[in-house]
Order: sequence, then C-alpha cells, then structure tokens
Amino acid sequence: MTRMIVSFAPHIRERVTTSRIMLDVIIALCPAFIAAVLIFGPRAALVTGVCVASCVFFEWAYQKLLKKTITVGDFSAVITGMLLAFNLPVGIPLWQAIFGSGVAIILVKQLFGGIGKNFANPAITARIVMFISFPAAMATWAPIPVDAISSATPLELIQRGDLAALPGMWDMFIGTRMGSLGETSALALLIGGIYLLARRVITWHIPVAFIGTVFVLTALLGIQPTFQLFAGGLLLGAIFMATDYPTSPQTRTGRIIFGIGCGVLTVIIRAWGAYPEGVSFAILFMNVLVPFINKLTMTKPLGGIKKKP
Amino acid sequence: MSKLSIFMKGIIKENPVLVFALGICPALAVSSQAVNAVGMGLATTFVLLCTNTVISLLRKVIPDKVRIPCYIVLTAAFVTITQLIVKAYVHPLYLALGIFLPLITVNCIIMARAEIFAKKNRLFDSVIDALGMGLGFTLALLAIASIREIFGNGTWFGIELPVLAEHNISIFMLAPGGFIAFGILVAIANKVSNGRAAKLKESGCARCPAATACGKGGAA
Amino acid sequence: MAPHRKHTAGCTPLAIPVPAEVHIPMSMHSGAPANLIVGVGDSVTVGQLIGEAATRVCSPVHASVSGQIKRIDTYDPLTGAPAVSVRIASDGEQTLWEGLTPSPVTNLAEFLAAVQASGVVGLGGAGYPTAPKLTLKEGTKLDYILINGAECEPYITSDTRTMVDHTADVWAGALLLKEYLGPKNVVICIENNKPEAIQKLEALCAGVQGMRVHVLPSLYPQGERKVLVYNVTGRIVPEGARLTDVGCIVINCTTVAVIAQYIRTGLPLVSRCVTVDGSAVKHPQNVIAPIGTPIRNLFEFCGGLKDDVKKIILGGPMMGAAVPSLDVPVVKVTSAILALSGRDAEAPTPSACIKCGRCVAQCPMNLMPSFIEDAFERKKVELLRTHKVNLCVECGCCAYLCPSKRPLAQVMTLSKKLLWGE
Repeated sequence: MTRMIVSFAPHIRERVTTSRIMLDVIIALCPAFIAAVLIFGPRAALVTGVCVASCVFFEWAYQKLLKKTITVGDFSAVITGMLLAFNLPVGIPLWQAIFGSGVAIILVKQLFGGIGKNFANPAITARIVMFISFPAAMATWAPIPVDAISSATPLELIQRGDLAALPGMWDMFIGTRMGSLGETSALALLIGGIYLLARRVITWHIPVAFIGTVFVLTALLGIQPTFQLFAGGLLLGAIFMATDYPTSPQTRTGRIIFGIGCGVLTVIIRAWGAYPEGVSFAILFMNVLVPFINKLTMTKPLGGIKKKP
Repeated sequence: MSKLSIFMKGIIKENPVLVFALGICPALAVSSQAVNAVGMGLATTFVLLCTNTVISLLRKVIPDKVRIPCYIVLTAAFVTITQLIVKAYVHPLYLALGIFLPLITVNCIIMARAEIFAKKNRLFDSVIDALGMGLGFTLALLAIASIREIFGNGTWFGIELPVLAEHNISIFMLAPGGFIAFGILVAIANKVSNGRAAKLKESGCARCPAATACGKGGAA
Repeated sequence: MAPHRKHTAGCTPLAIPVPAEVHIPMSMHSGAPANLIVGVGDSVTVGQLIGEAATRVCSPVHASVSGQIKRIDTYDPLTGAPAVSVRIASDGEQTLWEGLTPSPVTNLAEFLAAVQASGVVGLGGAGYPTAPKLTLKEGTKLDYILINGAECEPYITSDTRTMVDHTADVWAGALLLKEYLGPKNVVICIENNKPEAIQKLEALCAGVQGMRVHVLPSLYPQGERKVLVYNVTGRIVPEGARLTDVGCIVINCTTVAVIAQYIRTGLPLVSRCVTVDGSAVKHPQNVIAPIGTPIRNLFEFCGGLKDDVKKIILGGPMMGAAVPSLDVPVVKVTSAILALSGRDAEAPTPSACIKCGRCVAQCPMNLMPSFIEDAFERKKVELLRTHKVNLCVECGCCAYLCPSKRPLAQVMTLSKKLLWGE
C-alpha cells in the first residue's frame, strides 16, 4: 500500500499560479510591444530586450549572491523589464536602461524582500530615478520613422501652449506620436487591458477610477479631456502599473480610492506641475499610501461587531 | 581595552555613521563632493578632539545634573573657533559647508562620545577615542562622497575620471542618491562588522510612521 | 469559484454488501461521547442501542450490523485520540432488533424525544446532535427553519440523492418541523445545479402555506449556515450570537429525512448514503453503507482504487480531512469519501504572497485572509482580533483561490487557536 498524503484542507486548488498570472500580463503587454516596434522601429525591440534581460539577470544574480531561492521562474522580472522599457524613450542609451533595470530589481524589489514585498512599483520607481538621473536623455524623443511630426510629446506641446502642432485624434489612438516606447498606442494598450480583465488578472476598479477621474477633472478644467486620456502614459499606467498587486490596495473600495487618488494627482501635475506628465509620480505617491488605504477600507466581516473604541 | 582597539573601533565596528547612525544629517548634506566630505570630517574631528579632551579633564568637576548644557557650551565654543579658522584660511570650504559647520555644535557624535566615553575615561583614552571616532566619521563621509561624486559627477576630488565623466547618473548628486549610497554602505558595514549594526534593526520598523498601518511595527 | 464535479448526481445509491466487521466510535458527534452499554461477546442486532447519550449535548449510538461485539478499543478510529470505540463482527444476517417500532409523535416533547432516540446529528458534516439544537430557549421567536440542501462542496451528491430518492421523507420531516417548532416559514434551500430535487420539492410545496423552496446559485460555500441564513433571509448573525438569536434554524436535509424515517419506521440512524468519488476511484458512485464500515469496503465496491492513489479524504475536498489509511470507518457525518491520485493529491508548494487580494475579494465572511496570515506570522493577537479571525468558517475559499498556493485555511485555524490562547 502506498503511503497516503495527509495535508490540510482544501484538497483542491484553483489552477491559477503566480507564474500563470505573470504570463498573462506578459501576453497582455505584447500588443503594445508590437505597436512599439511598428511605430518606433527595431530599436524598440532592442531596448525592451535589454531591459528584460538585465532585469532577469539582476534578479538571478542578487538571489544567487545572497543565497536566496531563485524566483526568476515566476516571470515577474520579465514584466518589470517590459514595463520599464515601455516607459523609456526609444533613443535611450542602453547603459542607462541597464542602470534603470538594476534600480528596479535590486533597489526597489529585492532589497525590500522580493516579489510581493516591494512597497513601490519597481518599473515606475526606476523610471523616476532615471528621469532624475538622465533628464536630457529621458526627454529626447527620436523622430518617428512613419512620418516625422513634431519632436515633442503631445503633453509637452500642451504645456508650451503649442496646440496647433498636436497630432490628430486618430494618431493619438493608434499611437503614431511622440512618447515613451509602449505608452503611445492606446489601441494596443486597451487590447491588453481587455485581455487582463477577461482573464480576471485585474479588476476594473483601479483603471476605471484612474482614467475616469482624469477625464472628469480635465473636462472640468477644460483642458482637452478626450485628448488627455490618450496622451502621456495614462493608459499604460492605469492598466498595467497602477494595478500591480503588491503596490495597490487589496480591497475593492481601496482600489477605487487608489485610482481616484492617482487620477487627481495626475491632473494636478499635468495642469499645474513643472513636468508635463504626472502619471508615474501619481502612482508612486499613491503606492506609498497603500498600507493606509488598506487599513482604512478594511472589509466589514459578516456579523462582525464594531470594536468599541 | 588596549589603546589600539579604542582607536580602531571607531572605524568599522562602532562607526558613528554607519553603525550607530549618528550625525547622518551632515553625512548626507555635505557628501556630494569628496573634498567637502573630508573638510567636514576634519572639522568635526577637531571639535571632537577638543571636547573629548576638555570633558575628560573636567569629568570630576562637571555636576551630573547639568552636564548636557555644559557639553553644549564647550562644543559651541570649539565650533566657533573652528568656524573662524576655516573661514579665515579655507574660505571655499567654509562656503561649501555652509550652515553645517556651525551645526557641528549639535552633532550627535560629539554629544554621544562625551556621554558614552569622555565623561568616564581618562584623558589619554578620550583623546584616542576622539581620533578614532573622528577618523571613522571622516572615512564614512569620504566613502559616501566618493560614490556620489564618482557616479554622479564623474570626478573624484575634482579630478575628471575617464568614461564616467561622460556617463553621469545625476541622482547621486541629489538627496535621494545620498540616501542610496548611505544605505549601501550601512549594508556593507553591517556585513563587515558581523551584524553589529543589525541591532539597530530591532527598533527600525517600529519607528516607521507607517508602522501601525502596515502592521509590521509593534504599535498595532 | 470551486468546481462542482457532481459526477455522481445521477447515481442512485446502491447498498454495499454487509461488511465482515464494523468499527463504531462512541463519539461521532460534537459534545460528550456516548456511554457504551454493551460488552465484549454480547450479541447485537441492527438498530439496537449500544451507546447511551451521556449528557444533553450527546447522541445515542446504535449497532449497524447484527453480530457479536468483538472488541472494545480505546482510541478514536478517525483521529487516533483516546476514546471508546467498538468493533462488531457481523453475522451477515442483518437481523433487525425486535424493539424497533414506529414512534408516532403528538407534541413537541415527544417529537424531541424521538429526534434524540433516532441518534441523528447534523449530517452535513457539523455533527451537532439534532435534539439539543431543536430544543429552543424559552421565548425564542422562530421565523425560519432552513432545510439545507445546498450541498455546495464539490463531488458530494449524497444530500442530492436523499432529496431525489427520499423526497417523501424530506417532506414529511419538514412538515413535522413546521408543526412542532412552529416557525413562520420552512424554506428548503437547494442550489440550482440540482434541478430534479428542486422540481420534486417545489411540486410538494405548491400551495402549502409557509413552505417554499429557495433556489440558490451554485456557489461554494453556499451551504455554510451563516452564509445560507444571509443569502436566504438577509439576516446577519452577529458575532458571538446563535442562529436562533436571529430567528433561524438551519438543518441538513438528510437529517430531516432521517427524523421522518425514524418516526415512520422506528429504525434509527444505522446506515447512510456516501458519495465515493475522486480521480483514483474506478467507478465513482453513491453507496449506502452501515455506520462503521471501513472505507476500504466502499472503495472495493466501487471497483477498487487506481494504483496511483495518493490521498484519501473523508468529506468534501474543500473542508474534508485527509486520512492516512483505508481502515477508518464511515461515521454518521461521512457524506463522501474521495480518493485522489497523483497530481491531484499533492499539496502544492507555497510561494510568496503577491497581495493580489483574491482571498479578500472572495471571503464569504468578508474577512481579509492575507492580512490575517500576516498577523499570524508575527503572532499579533490584537491584530487577529481586529481582523475578526474568530468569524472564519474555514470554508477554504482563500486557500483554494490563492495563486501563490499559501496554506491560508490552515493559517486561519491556527490563528483562531492563537487568539483563543490554546
């Protein structure tokens, strides 16, 4: 008679695993990746490749060096690499991209305990570190091979008041405009977002609250609301970065608060800030508030009596 | 404790900055250039040497109840002397250190050494202690500053370095870079001193303002 | 949510051959064990009392086969804990005890006495003796009796079969409850994946005042009593309160059928329908087995086990207990036995929590399992109290859904123990 396994209930588990979720996110990022290569040319693939490879390498090397369990197999470093690359201009020097990957994986993720324990989104933080470290390179937008339009992002044009040079709505939608690698094609990002929603990897709360808030506030301020939706990194941020599990609240109400907070901060920075774009700052700021939001929106247990203060 | 070990402990094992986390404010503020870091380190060492000497000499005279004001008055006096000397002879350094030079008065290292060491040890030991601690402080500052200047500006003591000069990572010149470099060095010091610095961890999480919310602190 | 896997829903239960020996524990219910009243060598017949109820919260135990008491053991065959259990060698005759007579009831006291004598306990798995449960405190206002036919755990179909094959008994039991306990409503709650049971019982309910069938969506853990009360009546059972405090009683449908059967025939609970299923069972089906039958006999009746069997579970896959051997007996609360093979059986390796919030979103009690786990790991009792881990019903949804495969259900159980200082 074989020995029977005795373990604690439940004895069946859903098939979803961490790596399956991460793989879904990678699949969802693929349309944006293809769009980036089509719009910005083969260097987009090179930058993405370098970021992904260095993120995976840094994760492996750190864990190997500190004799920790190697968790490269969960694909989370691949996502960090892709998201970081999508936040960079296509002409970014490769050594800077590698530095950014190191910041994302070692500084932001592994030093805080690895997957699930980081308090800020690695890709966003790395982008901001690079933004501060390499201000020139991070704001140099290589001309698009498709058709050479202006050499500034739409949000920079709005900030300068140069509204005449703005690309048309169709260009904004399919992504033939200036901007970071993966943020330009609203179409591709939305396809990815729908895939993630359909696979139940993310819930609608954060993206809808985030994008909705930006739309409503920009409409109230009268600064091209529909245009603002497709401009900058809003869709990329709202769908892929703000929904990052460890750095977003776990409760439904919390997610809505988080999304609204991101939206408000984004609009404030876009309308009055010194920088033309504020999505990444907004997300990073809200990341820090996540433990408080979680605590504030603690679910009320069924039948739980409120603790007397 | 041998004289040598009194001297050496300030450098790694009881490094005031990297292990005791004292004097972090000047350590971060004036460490964007190696020259300033050394200047700050020497100025602090000088003050520390003077205060330790005098406090050790007066340790039986100073009444216990008012010892802290006494230490501060003494420190302030020596800081003023230092300030005037630096202003007169090394004026560029005076400008670079700015407010942090007079702020040596309230530098925790000086107060800590007076309280921990000078008030209960003999003159010679106190002098050695001051030198060791001063050197530890200077070296820590120099290490932080070297990382920041080399990577952030591509220079070291103002000398341009090949390759790095064209590849600046300017965040190291800013405050966040200071914290990153500081953090890296604390980790290294912790490893080298075999976890001596790790003792600080025990109070680490509880002091975080987010401790109650994230629940990792003791306050919950 | 959890899969249904009700493969055996269409299998009319078949009685298995009388086992050569049964092993009956005196404690098949919550509360004090029954007092053994027979000795080694005594002859017993089917339905004969062998264990007397010792206290109020206790249930009598009856012989399930006719034969001779072979041995009295000093351990519980399910848990191995010290307890009294008795082995009866069967003579294969299944002679009924001559004392079995129908016991018609005319008032509440007689009804409760009959319930107690029938040896029935919460057959859904809780095992709380039914008679004390139905004995209400003076002045309790009873609005609802919920007859629980949700049977939400995957695989199990024994309640479904009771409702389909013994509809009349379920109905008669429901009427008895209505008559003697006097609730405003008797609601038979059935998940919508049991259309046959719904149809049969709805036909009976038609036009009867205060009786209805409530069709629930098939969603685990629909049959958990507090969840059921909330979903059917909208009432929330406050922390520390009983179901009767909000005017409700939840009672399993098979329990109801057994009560009616006892009153009709006088035969106490000596056998039960058990679902035998799982990937390592050759011919999954429902069987009727005497209480105390080793589960080995049930598997053999179902064509035996496949070679790669790795895990045996008493009960459903979400809350049931894995047992190390095939010698454990079927007891009163055994609604299913499952055998899982190879990959299905292995406990997955947990990885770090990625804070996806699935457990928080899906907890039927609105708890926050990921935060409770965090509090547990740091042994923060105060935090566990804030998170109300004491309300956890241990349904296992959190652990089932966790993509990192963290043992959340186990942590919940341990957290409660930590909270209660055990």
